Amino acid sequence: MREIAAVIYRDWRQRITNVGFVFWDLFVPVAYLALFGVGFERALATSFVVDGQSLGYTAYLLPGVIAMTAFSVAMNTAWGFFMDKDSGIFFELLTYPITRRQLLIGKVCFNMLLSVLGAFLAVILGVFVMNIRIRWELLPLTIVIIMATTAGWFFLLSIFAIRLHRMDAFNTFTSAAYIFLMFLSTMFYPLAELPGWFQTVARINPMTWQVDLLRFSLLGTGAPTLMLLEGVAFVVFALVSLAFAVRALDGAA
Amino acid sequence: MNAIEVKDLKKVYRSNTGEPVRALDGISFLVPQGCVFGLLGPNGAGKSTLVKILTTITSPTSGEATVLGRDVTRSPLEVRRQIAVVLQQTAVESLLTVQDNLLIYAYLHGMGRREAWKRMRSLVEEFDLADKLGETVYDLSIGTKRRVQVAKIFMLDSPVIFLDEATTGMDPFMKRRVMDRIRLEARSGRTVLLTTQVLSEAEQLCDTILIIDRGRTLASGTLQDLRRLSEQMFRVSLSFAGIDGDLVGRLQALNPVELKADGKSVEMLFRGKEASLLGELADISRSVPITHFEIRGADLEEIFMALVKESL
Repeated sequence: MREIAAVIYRDWRQRITNVGFVFWDLFVPVAYLALFGVGFERALATSFVVDGQSLGYTAYLLPGVIAMTAFSVAMNTAWGFFMDKDSGIFFELLTYPITRRQLLIGKVCFNMLLSVLGAFLAVILGVFVMNIRIRWELLPLTIVIIMATTAGWFFLLSIFAIRLHRMDAFNTFTSAAYIFLMFLSTMFYPLAELPGWFQTVARINPMTWQVDLLRFSLLGTGAPTLMLLEGVAFVVFALVSLAFAVRALDGAA
Repeated sequence: MNAIEVKDLKKVYRSNTGEPVRALDGISFLVPQGCVFGLLGPNGAGKSTLVKILTTITSPTSGEATVLGRDVTRSPLEVRRQIAVVLQQTAVESLLTVQDNLLIYAYLHGMGRREAWKRMRSLVEEFDLADKLGETVYDLSIGTKRRVQVAKIFMLDSPVIFLDEATTGMDPFMKRRVMDRIRLEARSGRTVLLTTQVLSEAEQLCDTILIIDRGRTLASGTLQDLRRLSEQMFRVSLSFAGIDGDLVGRLQALNPVELKADGKSVEMLFRGKEASLLGELADISRSVPITHFEIRGADLEEIFMALVKESL
């Protein structure tokens, strides 16, 4: 436990000396909600009926914005492996008396907290400025979902950050992946009116599982059985990613 | 128990072109506890690969390696609890302050907060880092970054220390101080394995030396053992009242491995029997008087160069 606490402390010290990261981690998703969400809702007077509930666009977008926060926090943390490689500390870290798993878990813990903070800001903006009604009673579940999904994305992105030698290759890969994951999911629109192939791809996209789970815990949409299935699928995805990330660290040299 | 035991260690990896590269090709050696062990070899000899295996960063393809009885492949975490490592590449947390670098290193090795602060305070004095504690490492010179990196390992009491070209980039004063500290640590029972290309450093520090090239052992033993390996190699320095082409021709006829003439002085490296050479030099001195004569055994650098050349 002490080892994991030390890794968390290291990441915390790194992040507070690099306020730019924290700003972008927390600001971009909130800006999406405030600018894109409000603009889209006002310009197109959009609202969706999801599972019999009529939702304004900003309400519909809120879970997506929180998912975006989790993904970008995970992406920035995974990118940190390149910073470690550049400063030469990466290989030295592998000689410390901590397991590869503890190193990854320690790194993800601080980022879970950062994601929860980002989600908190989005929820505050949504509830108190945009009058979005959320299910406060399921807030603990929402927090669990945010933490678990941040970890899942971090483990996945770490595999590439550890395996790839070039930072530009990693940046290209993550930017491309981000676009496909976001737009081929339920983040911005419901799937009902979209082509069949689109729906099929979106259904197997972990971003859809994450957004659906957050929409369920925040707004009450979605069938519980489907949510359970998507929740289990995301946990399996996260554990498989963790196993591959540990393997990538073992083979890093 | 030996601090390090390596038996028939092999490491093969694929190059970028897909060709197998033998980085280590059956290396074996023992390092007793409390010894300063030097690992020497030219670039690409396999030194860093060997250090990476012994420090559990990477696994060997075959063979065995243990650190204080713990197998590096089967018990990597146990091995990591026994070691402190300075890798060849400068390894510091660039975005953190000097203070955070030292403290976080200690915390990551399981040290408590109070002990870490106590050790940091005494170390920063020794390594001239006291006035830089609050500075971000990113802004420091390469030499100072290296100092921070080396200072970190003295935050710990790990019984085995690995130093992969640790003094590279340090100014001579700090280098001397680090070398003194290494000697002190060895005297107190810690084992130090260092790789270096600065042969005088190995000569001054190491109790035992292993010379490797292309993943294979060329020679090993104490400095005296290695000197014995090339005892027929010696260097002769001569000064004459004047040197002309005829004299140089006569000296060349003695078949030196190397001959350098500079003004009135000549430096020659010989491999062979000293007695026969002395007779021939006496003949030369009858026609061209020798004003200065010096003969000495080869130093480590000359032994090293000769062994590497012979292995090619």
